[in-house]
Amino acid sequence: MIFEGRQQSEVFQRVGELRKVLIVDDSVSMRQMVGFTLRQGGYDVIEAEHGQDALDKLNKLANAMVDLILTDLNMPVMDGITLIRNVRKMPTMKSRPILMLTTEGLAAKKEQGKAAGATGWIVKPFDPDKLLQTLAKVLP
Amino acid sequence: MIRFFQNRPSAAVASLPPGVAVGAPEILPDVEAELAQYLPHFSRMSEQLKQTSKQIESSVVEVCNSFQGIAERAKEAVARTASFLSQAGEGSSDTQSFETLIENCSGTLVKILNTTEEAGEVSRRAIERIQQIDKASQSIGAAIQQLEQIAEGNKILALNARIEAARAGEHGAGFAVVAMEVISQTERTQKVNAQVSELILNLRKLAESTLNDLQRMNDKDRKRVDQCRLEVDDSLRDLQSAHGEMKTMLTGITEEGALLATDIGAAVRGLQFQDRTSQRIGHVVEDLDTLYAKLATRFGNGSEVGTTSDKGFSDYTMHEEREVAGIHGTESSQGDVELF
Repeated sequence: MIFEGRQQSEVFQRVGELRKVLIVDDSVSMRQMVGFTLRQGGYDVIEAEHGQDALDKLNKLANAMVDLILTDLNMPVMDGITLIRNVRKMPTMKSRPILMLTTEGLAAKKEQGKAAGATGWIVKPFDPDKLLQTLAKVLP
Repeated sequence: MIRFFQNRPSAAVASLPPGVAVGAPEILPDVEAELAQYLPHFSRMSEQLKQTSKQIESSVVEVCNSFQGIAERAKEAVARTASFLSQAGEGSSDTQSFETLIENCSGTLVKILNTTEEAGEVSRRAIERIQQIDKASQSIGAAIQQLEQIAEGNKILALNARIEAARAGEHGAGFAVVAMEVISQTERTQKVNAQVSELILNLRKLAESTLNDLQRMNDKDRKRVDQCRLEVDDSLRDLQSAHGEMKTMLTGITEEGALLATDIGAAVRGLQFQDRTSQRIGHVVEDLDTLYAKLATRFGNGSEVGTTSDKGFSDYTMHEEREVAGIHGTESSQGDVELF
């Protein structure tokens, strides 16, 4: 269930503070659906429209505040793979989980993502429960 | 399409535009003109598709907003119900559970009924004692009657003694005085007997009246207590049953809320069709734009601004697109999750 209390308690790390997830997707509706699911699961959400927007926001937020990035692959301005390569260069984001959330399921693309430093790959459409379970799994 | 082409005569090869192979079909000039006329439709079709995609996206965003509101309210209702149920089930330092309240009410009412019953028992015992007193009074009355008979006998005896004393003359004078005294004492005894008899009679009347009052009260109390006990039992049963029903109803609301959450989860999954549709439309738009640029370069009249023909057709990013295009490769299914 997407709004069970237990999930909220599982994702608390710092006292009184929710885990922060950066959602990167050029689709407004996807950002909204992912954001809705994550908020119901007890996460704090920041949104970015594309890779470059995400990098700008990370720099603005002093990036240490973001616990996980959930990014689409194909986006205008900067795609997901390029975003991951850039994020992995940031010292504080080296070990933070980055999950791809894309309609693309091609094995070759997955390999590219893995090589760039992605933590995992989720093929859209996502199942809300499964998405929350995956986040709980990759967040230490 | 075939009817627009004809085999290019060998004499015309020299006049072919650069890039057109020898032997390639030639397009008739009037068809060229017609194609140029249709060129603007490409950009219109492309714009129509873009706008349609945007409209679908706006609708999905609105639907998603509504779901968000429904989910928030359901979440709140479930949380309130769960809190109410846990409070009603366990109670806390400053509140009592419904079970405890019902138990306490029941205990208090039973105590009141027991006290009333005890009062009834006391009055029953009082009735018995008054009955015993009445019996004792009857015995005293009988004893007084016997005393009266004895006194009457003594009186006759004293009269006889006076007669005998008179007969004895001077010698019987003292005996006559004694006989008179016996008569006097007997008469005094008879007076006292009469007073005691009257007192006993009054006492018996009073006892009888008290007895009647107590019996009436006792009968009424007994009936009232029995009636109250039945009413209290019924009310407590109703209260417990209503509480049970309320708990069942609240549990139902919690379960419904959970089901609603599952349904919303399924709806969120279903609504993602828009993202896939939007991407596919986007790729069609890209291809239409590319096709338009290529045709404009070849057949346009130079009025198409910003068109470029060197852009290739779009790369497909979804399984369904690749399947239509006949492209195959190893790929994951929708919803798959893989952690590296």
